[in-house]
Amino acid sequence: MSVTVYALLAYGAMAVIAFAVVGVIVLIDRLFSGKGKDGQ
Amino acid sequence: MLELFSQLFPGIGTFFAVEPAIALARIGLIVLGFTLAYLGFKRTLEPLIMVPMGIAMIAVNAGMLFLSTGQVGNMFVDPLVSDPAQLVDVMQVNFLQPIYNLTFSNGLIACLVFMGIGARSEISYLLAKPWSSMFLAICAELGTFVTLVVGVEVFGLGPKAAAAIATIGGADGPMVLFSSLMLAPELFVPISIIAYLYLSLTYGGYPFLIKLFIPKKYRGIDMVVEVPEVSRKSKFIFIVAACLVLCLLLPVAAPLIFSFFVGMAVKEADINRYTELLEEGLSYFATFFLGVVLGVLCEASTILNPTVLVILVLGILALAVSAVGGLLGGLVMYWFHKKRGQDFNPVIGIAGVSCVPTTAKLAQHAAMEENPFAMILPVAMGANISGVITSAIAAGIFVSTIHLLG
Repeated sequence: MSVTVYALLAYGAMAVIAFAVVGVIVLIDRLFSGKGKDGQ
Repeated sequence: MLELFSQLFPGIGTFFAVEPAIALARIGLIVLGFTLAYLGFKRTLEPLIMVPMGIAMIAVNAGMLFLSTGQVGNMFVDPLVSDPAQLVDVMQVNFLQPIYNLTFSNGLIACLVFMGIGARSEISYLLAKPWSSMFLAICAELGTFVTLVVGVEVFGLGPKAAAAIATIGGADGPMVLFSSLMLAPELFVPISIIAYLYLSLTYGGYPFLIKLFIPKKYRGIDMVVEVPEVSRKSKFIFIVAACLVLCLLLPVAAPLIFSFFVGMAVKEADINRYTELLEEGLSYFATFFLGVVLGVLCEASTILNPTVLVILVLGILALAVSAVGGLLGGLVMYWFHKKRGQDFNPVIGIAGVSCVPTTAKLAQHAAMEENPFAMILPVAMGANISGVITSAIAAGIFVSTIHLLG
């Protein structure tokens, strides 16, 4: 695998994991605040 | 006569006993140490690191002496000792050797700093604009991945060495320490020194990049942001859940992830004595000794390593590209919010670079320069905390998958 392909895949994986973490935050916020919004 | 002089004043005599290049480098480092300490004193650079680091640089390069073996050395630290028997001997002579081996070279000091950062972080800021904050942090990680490619393709470095240097782009000191230990321990010392030097320089350098990339009319945009009131229970559960998810996904970065989230957890659990210990005690202890140890590692023989020049170039490239990535992400968020009839100050993009809380403060200063009433700090802090999370993820991905590059 070339380093460019690796860097692109790793960047993509980082973005997916980071947004998954935000998903957890928003989910917990909705579950426990009962407001039903994500603050956006 | 010269021999007698050398014995009487070994600090001066050793200048004549080493190669001229080393002697000149020692003088240069003494001058640099004074400059860094003074700029820290003036608050041009980050004083918490620069004052102890600068004075330690002066002391180690001035305080050279002839060791019992006849070689020129110092009584601060020897980072190259690895033989256990020799290490025990050295620990009884060099006063910073125990700190170096028991807290620095195993990453403990990075974890202690991270616990303090966690205890100071407020998760509510992230909840103000969670998706935007994380988007900016992802954009501001661009330098890490660009530098990896440049390091391998342009400078011919091995993937592990290039990845270790590339983590400077995350602008997260503890993460750089940790990654370089895991990926390229032979470059640990120069990478750590250069990373912290550059992280302090962001204080002075990033405002220029903000002015270069963000038009003046956008820099003063005020934002009406309502930081949501989240119960302590919600915040605590999020912290535990996020720690669990990230440790499951990235076990190699688990010590740092744990350190960050345990700091947050004790704060939200209202265990004030632990919070004070982490925030006021351990964190400052670790930061002080981090500065001191980095300073004493700035010895002429370390700095004259040819790889240092490559790290200098790649380090500044990583931080500059990350800042540009964050600012461009800020402009994207500006247009995105504008279409929805909302305000968004694109300067916040710089806070995606996770130099907590320096870049968030820089964003606020840049906004206030144009509009004294602009208040963007809460959103900037959210991007800042997101930056810590993306840096941990990037480091974890590198450590666990870089072997795929052979």
